[in-house]
Amino acid sequence: MEPIRVVDVGEVSPVASQAVYHAVAYAMEDATPDTILLVTSLKPYVSIGYHQDAEKEVDLEYCAQAGLPVVRREVGGGAVYLDRNQVFCQWIFHRDRLPARLEDRFSVYIQPLVETYNQLGIPAYHRPINDIQVSGRKIGGTGAASIGRSEVVVGSLMFDFNHELMARVLRVPSEKMRDKVFQSIQEYITTIKRELGTLPDREEVKGLYLQRCARALGRELEPGELTEREWEVVRELEERFSSEEWLYQKGGLRQSQVVKIHADVHVAEVTHKAPGGLIRLTARLREGRIDDLSISGDFTILPAWAVGALEQALRGLPLKPEALHQRMSDIYRALSVQAPGMSIEDLTQALMLLEQIR
Amino acid sequence: MRVMAVYNACEIPEELYYDVDYDVWVRLEEDGTVTLGMTDPAQAQCGRIVNITLKGVGKALRRGQSAAIIESAKWVGPFPTPLSGVIVAVNEGFRSDLLLANKDPYGAGWLIRLRPTNFAEESKVLLTGSAAVEAYRKKIDQRKVHCIRCAG
Repeated sequence: MEPIRVVDVGEVSPVASQAVYHAVAYAMEDATPDTILLVTSLKPYVSIGYHQDAEKEVDLEYCAQAGLPVVRREVGGGAVYLDRNQVFCQWIFHRDRLPARLEDRFSVYIQPLVETYNQLGIPAYHRPINDIQVSGRKIGGTGAASIGRSEVVVGSLMFDFNHELMARVLRVPSEKMRDKVFQSIQEYITTIKRELGTLPDREEVKGLYLQRCARALGRELEPGELTEREWEVVRELEERFSSEEWLYQKGGLRQSQVVKIHADVHVAEVTHKAPGGLIRLTARLREGRIDDLSISGDFTILPAWAVGALEQALRGLPLKPEALHQRMSDIYRALSVQAPGMSIEDLTQALMLLEQIR
Repeated sequence: MRVMAVYNACEIPEELYYDVDYDVWVRLEEDGTVTLGMTDPAQAQCGRIVNITLKGVGKALRRGQSAAIIESAKWVGPFPTPLSGVIVAVNEGFRSDLLLANKDPYGAGWLIRLRPTNFAEESKVLLTGSAAVEAYRKKIDQRKVHCIRCAG
């Protein structure tokens, strides 16, 4: 089989960092080689998933003030803050030259990333289907798409990540939820810098990565350039990706207020109207269990510190009505809780809303 | 009577027509329209659908154009129509349950209904009955697909 073309695109504008792999995919012809692009965005920006509703998911006002462009990609997933500290590794292949099964396709794609991290001394591993983790923390995301005649898989080498701005650019229903998202990102997302305490030489890491790609794919790699035609499509797509029509395009049928941190960790906020007032729950779920919880609202509860006791007591429990009910009954009894119009059933119902939106 | 071939837990109803390359099933309706949906192997490979955008009623599509964009947890891609035509209906059921195609790909999980504009010519590539089952056996083997349905 012919060698894979490697194009180190270098540092480009935010919109170009997205447009370039879409362009290679859309411009693909029979004679186009399978291609691996290495790309970095010179300036920070926010990338949103294909189906996301920009206004609902991203704090556009903040982004405008901070000078952060927001760019929709044709790959799925959530909004992410990106900057110079990630090298995007974008594969654009002919349909029949990557494994047909998604699980296998991600295995091939993720192997060189994992091996590069390992080579740097970071004990990263592939957490199927498409996560890369280090001791339960995620190091970069990956995604796949069928674009034009090609299959595309994208991900990144995570040199560093701005956890704070990531939490800041999201539109969330409350500051409490933002805090929880921020804490969760801090806790569950890691980077090369965090793991090593220092930043290795970028060119060296890219070199390691490409060697590992050749081995994982069992093919030769050859440095190359984009064709004139491909650059033309890059420019066309830059225009489209910069248009308001593209950014504000309404998403698909599902809209939700869940922030996925990694494969097993989600932060969500739900409200439930109980006779005694509104119950608002901000929760982090890990593998279907309550990992962290805040209860607020306009209900009355005595003693006042019973709220904290409930929050503590519910941590670690699975979202199962019986288990939740039992634990809360114990607390209500032990503390002689008085909460007019906020029964254990009301709280159980509110908690079970978390299950539905996961 | 409905005749259903099952291979690696993938169901291939023999009364339907298939574009095996696109992984799309076609049902010929009595009023001359056609209903399209994802096959069982297609929904299994795509995985749990997390979002879907359907093109609007009245939209004219050429063969190969995308009638919907489907997003699963791991992948985004088009749902290509094997027949040119004008969309006469889309499945509104996805508004309340995104998993319809994962649960019941040949029934409640249909995607769109078209009034075909070049049926005589384009339907020649569609397979049905044992020919479709045979083609799917090959494809399922080649892609190592094992079908799983989301619980209803």
